[in-house]
Amino acid sequence: MFRRSGKEGNYAYTVARVKAKKSLLLGEEDYNKMLLMSVPEISRYISESSYQKEMAEYAGKVSGIDLVERATYASMAKVFSSILMASQGELRNLVSAYLNKWDIWNLKVILRGKSFGLDAESIREDLVPAGSLSADDLEKLIVLDSHEDIIAAFGKMEGVNVDEAIDLYKNEGNLGAVEDFLDKYHYASLLGSVKPSSRPAKMFQDFVRMEIDVKNVKVILKLKAEGIFGEPVMKYYIPGGKQVDVKYATMLANSETIADAANDLSHLEFYDVIKDAVEADNVSLRDVVTLMKRYELAQANKLSHMYPLSMIPVVDYMIHKEIEVKNIRTIARGIESGLDREIIKGLLVI
Amino acid sequence: MVLEGDVGAGLIAIGAGLAVGLTGLGTGMAEKDIGAAAVGAITEDLSLFGKAMIFMVLPETIVIFGLVIAILGIFVM
Repeated sequence: MFRRSGKEGNYAYTVARVKAKKSLLLGEEDYNKMLLMSVPEISRYISESSYQKEMAEYAGKVSGIDLVERATYASMAKVFSSILMASQGELRNLVSAYLNKWDIWNLKVILRGKSFGLDAESIREDLVPAGSLSADDLEKLIVLDSHEDIIAAFGKMEGVNVDEAIDLYKNEGNLGAVEDFLDKYHYASLLGSVKPSSRPAKMFQDFVRMEIDVKNVKVILKLKAEGIFGEPVMKYYIPGGKQVDVKYATMLANSETIADAANDLSHLEFYDVIKDAVEADNVSLRDVVTLMKRYELAQANKLSHMYPLSMIPVVDYMIHKEIEVKNIRTIARGIESGLDREIIKGLLVI
Repeated sequence: MVLEGDVGAGLIAIGAGLAVGLTGLGTGMAEKDIGAAAVGAITEDLSLFGKAMIFMVLPETIVIFGLVIAILGIFVM
């Protein structure tokens, strides 16, 4: 009754902050307006919203589409870091574990950048220093030359045993295996950090497990669209899902096409959401993936109202913010490359 | 043991103290999360100060009830 919130987590404070931030996110109307604009107009439009400081910061260094991309990523990193700084106790541990995905993202960007021979500045463009590794830590990784050194240094910074990842890289000779290892490590550590002792913690754990299910189904369907099915698919499987266990994933992986998998997919909790897209005559993977993303958003939104004093409203905001940034970038990129506005709109998650 | 003075008046004083003290604790517990949330909201958007303030002082009614009971106890009973 008189417990101090410092140890338990300052849920009320942090949740109020993220709810206030969420109210400032762009809505469908804003996206519709942006679809009719040119890239400089989009820059100006987002300069008047929550991206003002970052746009001003980068305006002198880059311009056009690069300005939009760098400012949106910088804003997202800043916002996520501020949430991490604002949270305390148990909540801070959960936020930190969730934001670990950006450390993994940054490591992947650095490794990919190095393998394509990009210079440090080009690599920096795609970094999102929102996780536990600061911009300085990432700089230390960028200056390293070999992939092994980068992975080893990352392991040291994060306190993770990365010997397996280095062995995988040495044996397979490509970064794909390392990236899969990192994804699996992220979800394993995230699930490990959630102690389902209370109902909200259990709900958060269920949410993460649902996210893993969505990710697994997405990967299985994407590979199917590329004509890959059966055993090769299973090496990308991420354990820990709520409904998609190894047996079910194998069953899904074994169908040759997305249409063949429709019957097995019907056992999924969220099948109703993707049903129309999966059972359509010409299955569009893009539509299925977008619908799954929308389902994830709707679930986060629903659970955040059910458990206001929990981690879920924070995750809900983070997902919405990430999607907003992706939407802005999609619109800007689409307009820059002359895509039809209806096609760009179809790519957005609203 | 011999009790000196007016025992009734002493008991009323204890009752009044408990009424104010316990309702004060209740108010404090209620305001703990509201206060934290109010500060969080104001940090993001200063225009929410007025609304946050209203929610912040709502639990004060609990301690006012306690105070009324205490005053009734001391001056009316």
